[in-house]
Amino acid sequence: MTDRGTRGEVRLVDARLHLLSRQVLDSDGEPVRTVDDLELAGPDGGEARAGQEAHVSAILVGPALALRLFGGRAPTSRLPHIAWEDVGHLGTAIELTVPSDGLDADWVEHWLRDRLVGRIPGGRRDPEAGS
Amino acid sequence: MRKMLAVALGVLTAIGGFVDIGDLVTNAVVGSRFGMSLVWVVVVGVVGICLFASMAGRVAAVSGRATFEIIRERLGPRAAGANLVASFAINLLTLTAEIGGITLALHLASSVEPRLWIPVAALAVWLVLWRVKFQVLENVAGLMGLLLVGFAVALFLLGPDWGELLRQAVPPSAPGNEHPAAYWYYAVALFGAAMTPYEVFFFSSGAVEERWTSKDLATNRLNVMVGFPLGGLLSVAIAACAAVVLLPAGIEVSSLSQIVLPVAQAGGVLLLAVVIVGIVAATFGAALETALSSGYTMAQYLGWSWGKFRRPARAARFHVTMIVAVLLAVGILMTSVDPIAVTEMSVVFSAVALPLTYVPILVVANDPEYMGEHVNGRVMNALGGVYLLIVVVAAVAAVPLMIATGAGS
Amino acid sequence: MTISTGGRRVAAGAVALAVGLAGAGCTVASRQEPGQATAAVADALAEAGSAAETTRLTVELLDQGRVTGPVADTALLDQLRVLDDAESALTTLVPPDAASSGHRAAGLTAVGDVSDVVVSAREWVAARSGGDLDDAVAVPADADELLAELGAVTAAVDAALAEAGGR
Repeated sequence: MTDRGTRGEVRLVDARLHLLSRQVLDSDGEPVRTVDDLELAGPDGGEARAGQEAHVSAILVGPALALRLFGGRAPTSRLPHIAWEDVGHLGTAIELTVPSDGLDADWVEHWLRDRLVGRIPGGRRDPEAGS
Repeated sequence: MRKMLAVALGVLTAIGGFVDIGDLVTNAVVGSRFGMSLVWVVVVGVVGICLFASMAGRVAAVSGRATFEIIRERLGPRAAGANLVASFAINLLTLTAEIGGITLALHLASSVEPRLWIPVAALAVWLVLWRVKFQVLENVAGLMGLLLVGFAVALFLLGPDWGELLRQAVPPSAPGNEHPAAYWYYAVALFGAAMTPYEVFFFSSGAVEERWTSKDLATNRLNVMVGFPLGGLLSVAIAACAAVVLLPAGIEVSSLSQIVLPVAQAGGVLLLAVVIVGIVAATFGAALETALSSGYTMAQYLGWSWGKFRRPARAARFHVTMIVAVLLAVGILMTSVDPIAVTEMSVVFSAVALPLTYVPILVVANDPEYMGEHVNGRVMNALGGVYLLIVVVAAVAAVPLMIATGAGS
Repeated sequence: MTISTGGRRVAAGAVALAVGLAGAGCTVASRQEPGQATAAVADALAEAGSAAETTRLTVELLDQGRVTGPVADTALLDQLRVLDDAESALTTLVPPDAASSGHRAAGLTAVGDVSDVVVSAREWVAARSGGDLDDAVAVPADADELLAELGAVTAAVDAALAEAGGR
C-alpha cells in the first residue's frame, strides 16, 4: 500500500505493522480508538477480490475486534468504521482530519458522555484549572 | 530550591506509595511465622521494582506512550487481549483488597462494622478519582502513607536484639517447625507484593499524565532508586515488628488488628493512631492507583481517550471503566469475604501475572524505534535478564505452591 | 471483506486464571488418614493457641493503656473468628481411629474454653470502655483475673497440642 507523503514521494506502509493496532487520533489530537481491522475495497469501490488490485477503504473499530479475535463474520457495512478519506497523516499514530465529535464510529464515547458522565456534577470541569 | 523541593516530594511520595495492603499483610504474616528469614525476598523485590519502574517510566517519558498501548502494538490484539483480561482481573482483585484494607483500618479506628464502611470508602475513592487533580492525588496519598514510618519507630522503641534479627535474616533458612513448601510459598507471595504489576501501569501512565519528557529522566530515576528502597525498609520494619513481638508469643497473623499490636506495645496509643492513619492513607492511595490502573489498561488497549488531565466528559469511557471497577470491588467485598484473604490471593496472583507486564516492557525498552538513544544499556539488560528468570520462575511456581501448601496454612 | 477475519481462541489465559482461583479455594479440613486427622487437630489447636496469645497481648496492652478500646475490641472479635474456624475444622473432621477421635475431643474442649475466655475478655473491654455492664456477673473484675484464666486455657491448648503431636 502506498501513502503519498508531504513531499510527494511514495512511502511503503505495511498494513499489519503500521496500521493494525495503531492509535487513531482526531484532528485535535484526542484519541479515538485503536485500529481494530481494515476494510478493503476493489478498484471500482465494490467488493475486493483475490488477484485484483485492492485498497483500504475504511478503518474498522469496535465489534470488528471481537470478530477478529473469536471469528465469525458480519456485514462490514454494519461495523462502525472511519472512512479512509478522513485520514490525514500516518505516523506512530494515525491522525484524522476530522474531530471525533463528528464520527459515528465513536458513538459509545458520545453516548456515555451525554447520557452519563457529562450529567454527573463536575463531569465537564477541567481538572487542571485549579483544584 | 523549587527543583529540590520537587525532587524531595517525588522521593517522599515514592516511599509512602510503596507500601500497600499487600505489603502490609504479607510482611506481617511472614514476620510472625518465619521471623526475618525472608527479608532477602524484599531486597530482591525492591531491586526488581526499581528496575522495572524506572524502565516503564523511561519508556513513557521518551516515547510518550503508556505501557498497554505498546503491549498491543507489539503483541497484537490477541496476545495483548489475553494479557489485558489477566491484568484487569488481578488489578480488580488488588483494588478489592485495598478498599477492604481501608475498611479494616477504619474499623480499627472506630469499631464500626467494616461492611458499613465499604460504601463510604468506595464513594470517597470515586470522588477523589472524579475531582482531584492527578498531582495532588498522588502527592497527598504518598505523603500520608509516610506515617507508616511508625512501624520503624516502633521497632526502635521495642529495642530488639538486633544481632538475633540479623541471625534470622542471614543466612536465610526456614524455621524448623515450618514446611519448606510454606516457606517458598510465602517467598513468592512476598515477591508478588513487592512487585505488584499495577505499579507499573500506574507509573508509566502517570508519566504521561504529568507530561514527562526525556528531561525528566534523571528525576524519575532518583525517585525510584531512592524512594522504593526506603519504602522497602518500611516493609522490613513491619516484618521485624511482627518477628519481635508476635513470633515469640506464637501468634500467627490473620487480621489487621494483630499487625498493629506491636506498634501499640512499643509506642502506646499515640503511635498506634499514627500508624492507623498511615494504613488508611496507604490503602486509600493504593486503591486510587489500582482503580486508575484498571481504567488505564482498558483504555490503552482499546485506544480510548484516557487520563486525569482530561475533563471526565472528554474521557467518558475511561471514567466509566473506573466506576465499574470500583462497583465490582464493592460487590465482591459485600459478600463478606475476608479482605485479608483477598489480599493474600491478590499478591500471589500478582506474582503469576508479573511476566505479562515485565516481558513487554523489557522488549520495548530495547527497541530503538520507540526509545531512540535511550534504549537499555548493557548493565540494565544484564539485570533485566536475571530478573526475567526470577519473575518467570516465581510465576510458574506460584500456583503449584499454593495448591501444595493449601495457601500457606 | 476484512483483513484477518479468521479468529482463534483467546480464553486460555482466562481459563487458567479461573482454574487457579478455584483450586485455591479447595482446602478441606476433613482428612481421612489417622496421621492427617491428628495433624488437622494440631493445626486447629495452633490457631487456637495463637488466638489465646493475641488475646493475652491485647488485654495486657489495654490494661497498660497502650491500646484504644476500638482496636482491642476489634482484635478480640478477629480472634473469635479464628476460633470459629478452628472449631468448625474440628467439628467437621471425621476421625478414622480412636486415638485421633480422642485428640479431636480434647481439642474441641480446649478451643471452646479459649472462646469462653475471649468472650469474657471482650465484655471486660466493653466495660472498661464505658459500657453499662457493671452488674453483669460474668464480667471479670480486672486484667489479672482474665490473664489467669487465659493462662489456664493456654496450658490446656498446649497440652492438647502436645498430645496431637503439634509444635
